[in-house]
Amino acid sequence: MDKALDAWFVREILAHEASLAQYLRRCWPQADELHDLRQEVYVRVYEAAAKALPQQPKSFLFATARHLITDRLRRGRVVSIEPAGDFESLNVLIDEVSPEQRCGARQILKRLAEALDRLPDRCRQIVWLRRVEDLPQKEVASRLGISEKAVEKQIAKGMRLLAEHYHGQPAVPANAAAAARRRGAVTEQESG
Amino acid sequence: MNAGSRQIEHDAAAWLARRDGGDWSAEQTAALERWLSAATAHRVAFLRLEAAWAESDRLKALGAGLARGELPERGRWTQNRFGLRARRAEEAETHRRALADAAVAARAERRSRARAPARRLAAAALAATALLAVALSWGWQRYERVQPQAYRTAIGSLREIALADGSAATMSSDSAIEVALSRHERHIELQRGEAYFEVAKDAARPFAVQAGERRIVAVGTRFSVRRDGDEVRVVVSEGTVRLESAPQDGRGQPVTLLPAGSSALATAAGVLVRDGSIADAERALDWRRGYLVFLDTPLAVAVAEFNRYNRRPLVIGDAAAAQLRIGGSFRWSNAEVFANLLEQALPVRAERESERIVLYSR
Repeated sequence: MDKALDAWFVREILAHEASLAQYLRRCWPQADELHDLRQEVYVRVYEAAAKALPQQPKSFLFATARHLITDRLRRGRVVSIEPAGDFESLNVLIDEVSPEQRCGARQILKRLAEALDRLPDRCRQIVWLRRVEDLPQKEVASRLGISEKAVEKQIAKGMRLLAEHYHGQPAVPANAAAAARRRGAVTEQESG
Repeated sequence: MNAGSRQIEHDAAAWLARRDGGDWSAEQTAALERWLSAATAHRVAFLRLEAAWAESDRLKALGAGLARGELPERGRWTQNRFGLRARRAEEAETHRRALADAAVAARAERRSRARAPARRLAAAALAATALLAVALSWGWQRYERVQPQAYRTAIGSLREIALADGSAATMSSDSAIEVALSRHERHIELQRGEAYFEVAKDAARPFAVQAGERRIVAVGTRFSVRRDGDEVRVVVSEGTVRLESAPQDGRGQPVTLLPAGSSALATAAGVLVRDGSIADAERALDWRRGYLVFLDTPLAVAVAEFNRYNRRPLVIGDAAAAQLRIGGSFRWSNAEVFANLLEQALPVRAERESERIVLYSR
């Protein structure tokens, strides 16, 4: 029970979930294992941080992900020759993931609103009543004429889906696309 | 973590929802604490959900101005779904503000003079300017129409092009396109290679890519078109596009609709559509970021892909090598590194000649 460590983890590690997901997707062909892989990366980072906080949280996160992938490959769980030798490109990749943006309140709200809109109908209605209208779960249940247990289940579902979208969405400021375009132009000059 | 990460996430959500429900006793606090301490996997899953749920408190702002119990329809806050449109909206806003400022300034000036003849003069000037603007834009459209722009890339380079309508194209290695934006249509001819398009929305002007006998039409969406001789491949990563084929023997060909995530292969024999997830589609477009992604791909096919991007080709030396299968993502810019990797991981021997690299099975 270490509140400071928990806060650090949310602020410095979870903030990179979108980049991490992208990275894992690229290195790991089995999509159904990504969820598990992500969790294990988080576990390793959290346990290491409990002993000593890394100075460079983001690099540490990606180094951990890379080690985990090599470990799993050694255990022979997947036939892929790429990470076995192509570390060069993996390293490049880390530098390529866009620098995360601490996005402003407006942007966070927009992202949350999008997440809300992606919820299934019933779930969205219940999360709306609970979160926007701030009704207690009990009252939501009586208003909709359903059991409290049912409300609780929908809230739990909403929590999972909101988190997936909230953490998993890259924070893209309005000019990021332009920046990406500029980066593309630079690369072209280098290679051509 | 044998419990399974999804199961743990479900459990964490159940704890959090129960706590959110109120009536939370000291025993329950202790039980939750025991669950959290049992495994770090429990703790990180819980923290992740808790952080997002705490942030979702901000959603209260959405209720402003709405009657209680009123659930607004979806999409009310998410009109600007991606950066491109958001940016254009911003530009439009800046422009609108500049105009408004100018109008205020003009009004102030007029008021300070407060003389009728001046006002009449100003009106005439305004009308003249408007006429000129219309004439200019008409001339511009015509000019654009008769003057298609050609773009080309050499082997091994990509190119990003911003089109005048706000759309963007990313050209792959060794590709050629011609762009003609008219008032009624945005017409792109893919003469060779592959290009990825991010289409700015404009319902009045369809965005059509002509690739040989095939035509791919979109309104606002993202997709790529690739041409290998008569074969045309389309990958859609957002929105929907329409694949049309030139009439044969005077008869029209069926039109194929391709939703996001799908890809189509059009050959002389017909059109083959494969549905997939959007992640699959994005993966097929990784060349834009400098990567080629293979999943259980025959070496002969992978090598052919590499050769689209490199002047010094890889050559398959014997039939056994051609049938080896590989997976992974590779930088397309470095065939040498790719050959090294193959030697390490597969029963392959590479002979490096000055003009090419030959791969033999061992």
